Amino acid sequence: MDLPAQIRSGLQSQGLPPPSIAWIQTAMPNRNPLPPLPALIATVKTRFLAADLSNPALFDSPSPAFPPNAGNPEVKEVKLTWDIPVQVLDIENLSKSKWEQIEELEAIARGEQTRGREVIRLPTGNEEDEFAADNQTTQSTINGAERPGIQGRGGPATSTNAATKTSTHRLVLQDCKGQKLYGLELKRIERIGIGSLNIGEKIILKRGAILARGTLLLDTTTCTILGGKIEAWQKDWVEGRLARLREAVGADSRNGQ
Amino acid sequence: MRVLCVAEKPSIAKAVAGHLSGGEVQTHNTPEKYIKNYVFDYDFGRPWGKCQVTMTSVLGHITAAEFPPEYKKWDYPPPDRLFDAPVNVVVAADKTKVADNIEKQARFANALCIWTDCDREGEHIGNEICEAAKKGNRTLDIRRARFSNIERAHIINASRNLVNLDYKQVNAVASRIELDLRIGYAFTRFLTTSLKTLGGPFQDLLLSYGSCQFPTLGFVVDRYFRVRNFKPEPFWSIKVMHKREGIDVNFSWARHRLFDRPSVIILYERCLMAKKAKVTKVQEKPTKKWKPLPLTTVELQKMATRFLRMTGQQAMETAEGLYNKGFISYPRTETDRFDPGINLRLLVQKQTQSHAWGGFAQNLVDGGFQQPRQGRNDDKAHPPIHPITFASPSVLNDQEKKIYEFVVRRFLACCSEDAKGVATDVDIVYGEELFHAHGVVVLELNYLEVYVYDKWTGSVQLPKFTVGEMFEPTEALMTEGKTAPPHYLTEADLIALMDANGIGTDATMAEHIQKIQDRDYVRTVPRSSRSEDADDAEGSQATEGSRAGRPTRGGRGRGGRTGRGRGATNNGREGIMEFIPTQLGVALIEGFDKMDFETSLGKPFLRKEMELKMKAICEGRTTKEVVLDESIQQYRHVYIQSQQKLGVLKAACRQYVFGA
Repeated sequence: MDLPAQIRSGLQSQGLPPPSIAWIQTAMPNRNPLPPLPALIATVKTRFLAADLSNPALFDSPSPAFPPNAGNPEVKEVKLTWDIPVQVLDIENLSKSKWEQIEELEAIARGEQTRGREVIRLPTGNEEDEFAADNQTTQSTINGAERPGIQGRGGPATSTNAATKTSTHRLVLQDCKGQKLYGLELKRIERIGIGSLNIGEKIILKRGAILARGTLLLDTTTCTILGGKIEAWQKDWVEGRLARLREAVGADSRNGQ
Repeated sequence: MRVLCVAEKPSIAKAVAGHLSGGEVQTHNTPEKYIKNYVFDYDFGRPWGKCQVTMTSVLGHITAAEFPPEYKKWDYPPPDRLFDAPVNVVVAADKTKVADNIEKQARFANALCIWTDCDREGEHIGNEICEAAKKGNRTLDIRRARFSNIERAHIINASRNLVNLDYKQVNAVASRIELDLRIGYAFTRFLTTSLKTLGGPFQDLLLSYGSCQFPTLGFVVDRYFRVRNFKPEPFWSIKVMHKREGIDVNFSWARHRLFDRPSVIILYERCLMAKKAKVTKVQEKPTKKWKPLPLTTVELQKMATRFLRMTGQQAMETAEGLYNKGFISYPRTETDRFDPGINLRLLVQKQTQSHAWGGFAQNLVDGGFQQPRQGRNDDKAHPPIHPITFASPSVLNDQEKKIYEFVVRRFLACCSEDAKGVATDVDIVYGEELFHAHGVVVLELNYLEVYVYDKWTGSVQLPKFTVGEMFEPTEALMTEGKTAPPHYLTEADLIALMDANGIGTDATMAEHIQKIQDRDYVRTVPRSSRSEDADDAEGSQATEGSRAGRPTRGGRGRGGRTGRGRGATNNGREGIMEFIPTQLGVALIEGFDKMDFETSLGKPFLRKEMELKMKAICEGRTTKEVVLDESIQQYRHVYIQSQQKLGVLKAACRQYVFGA
């Protein structure tokens, strides 16, 4: 077996969808002599995870993609009949209001969450001391972090990126043909979170995964996160996040700042 | 041996003289009409022994820090010269008679005993008294009495265990006074003269700056914008109800709510498809609502603003009066744990004669007494605020009655037992979705019987469920709601923010809050009915949000919302006041914030640092000289930046005050 084929089977044995031989050749390091096989496989794997899946040269066609009509909201439920590699284009935390996320991002931008300079925010409303019995929040330690607030409850302890056990995220997933579908966390998946899941990160949707009303329902048994990221997309996403959130709620920049 | 004793205020002098003399006392008037000199004999024990005592007092601080006359004009020299101008400490104009009395009495004395309040400010006043006395007599043996209430045995004990003045605390206060003077004057003059040129209301306006006032105002402005800029967003949820044994059991969704309708529709549909729900967990366990911690100053102020229809400042003044009359312990304390040596049962016993809570106190005396919870704070100076003797309602005015009653009820609650109940938790899985029901039955009210400010409502009894059983819910609904803006700050919120951010001391917070109102930087308005509605909406979110996020321990349960609503009416909270900045207040904070230098004067950071430095002086980790040097540098730096970016401040003033 020649080297690209060996790399290919190496990747496959690690659970990755096998890229085309032609692409592997382009992804191999330009060094002479070449490093040993395990190092080569690792290098090509890293490049694969950083590649754009919708690049037609990446796979031999036909490669596994979403079934036709997958996005049809009329279809109550179908199951995927084959494994599909996808990449993450967007991630949203549906458990938090956009405004709450905006306030947190702005606080960070003002440098107010840097430790030592924290402005500790109270939750809104009149907190009752009925919580005190539960968490021993005492008189002088009341702050936003310890009290569940309403809007902008992200006290210093919870960063914007923090996802709790009950957070629900929705992803935009793209297959190798460039088709996009929503992916909704049916069960909490630890890796999925703003800041922990990257844009361009690769995921394998397993055979049997549920597609309901055009949305993929994600849980740990039907969804394997391979890792990776597309640096440029990630950067744009992070930099544009505040503006996108603001636009979504129809807010102007405060006093033109 | 002749001893001169000096208290911080006349009422303490009178009370202490009464206790030490046993009633045999001669009273002399002094040139200052509020101050009397009490002369009597007293045995201090060793080393002073039997003495002839003159007990008198001052009226707070005797001295004031001020700039020399050549710095009195506003237009010259420029304000920043005040950062290094000489500062003279002189006897304040209205205190010369007070100082003269001390000086004169000191001439006849061999020793001086300081009876000022035992806190930083009191320590400094003690030193002022020393200085005044030394003018009359340089050979005095000087001691200090340590006490935290004016109950007889406590005072006698203090007189027999005299200590020395703590010069570290004196220096901390001296630093604070000097910094406040320099910084306050420099920025006040800078603001006033610089903004005068804007004309209109600024023409004759005194724009006072204080390093606590501004961050306090900053909190109010910050919340104001959070309310104003708020954008409501719709959210959706799934509610499951099951009727059993005549009880409507409400199950709340583990996801609480999602901000996307199609996603909720998908999940909701899958619940309905499943038809039946399965019980996955049933747990019944005892639960408690903990009794409150011993009372600190900050907590007293917060509770008074919430439940007693008083401002923080009114509460402090009233508590001060009660302390001066000997009814309660010193009301300025950070301590939330009682020293094990203090005889709490005896204090409880004294409350048995009350018509209102005597029965409860009697029950404690008869065996119900429990040691209070121990908080984490101890200022090593004063115990938590507690009643010293019983005060019959007839000797108290309306405000005093409210504060006294609160202090006593809080104290009795502390000496009582946690409220007890049984909590039931039922988890179900419906489709793939998880739901939870929580019930609580209160079994013993205990401390809640006397502590009327706390409620444990929302008692919900759950019918029987068995793990593994399947049932078809009576009702499963998809619901819709909308986020509501936060409230404007209440005084309790503001005090909590100041406390958490190190703005002011527990003793001065209320004054700063009053100050920004006096300066017309903020106004208080009654919370409107509109925001009461919002309160409800938020209440439900807060309750459920908190449940989802953390393990249940006490039995707050589903009743959170209703309990809160009821609490509001029961406790007179409908009259709650909110803080809203004036246009001027907004302009000043926005102006400084937009200058965009590292530490805006509208933020708490600089002041917090200063407070920490005061503390460091008290603990001997730094010195007055170092602190003065550093802090003046910092503020001078800010001053220069503010000067350079004055245009930004002016623009903010034009925008908000003139609407340009």
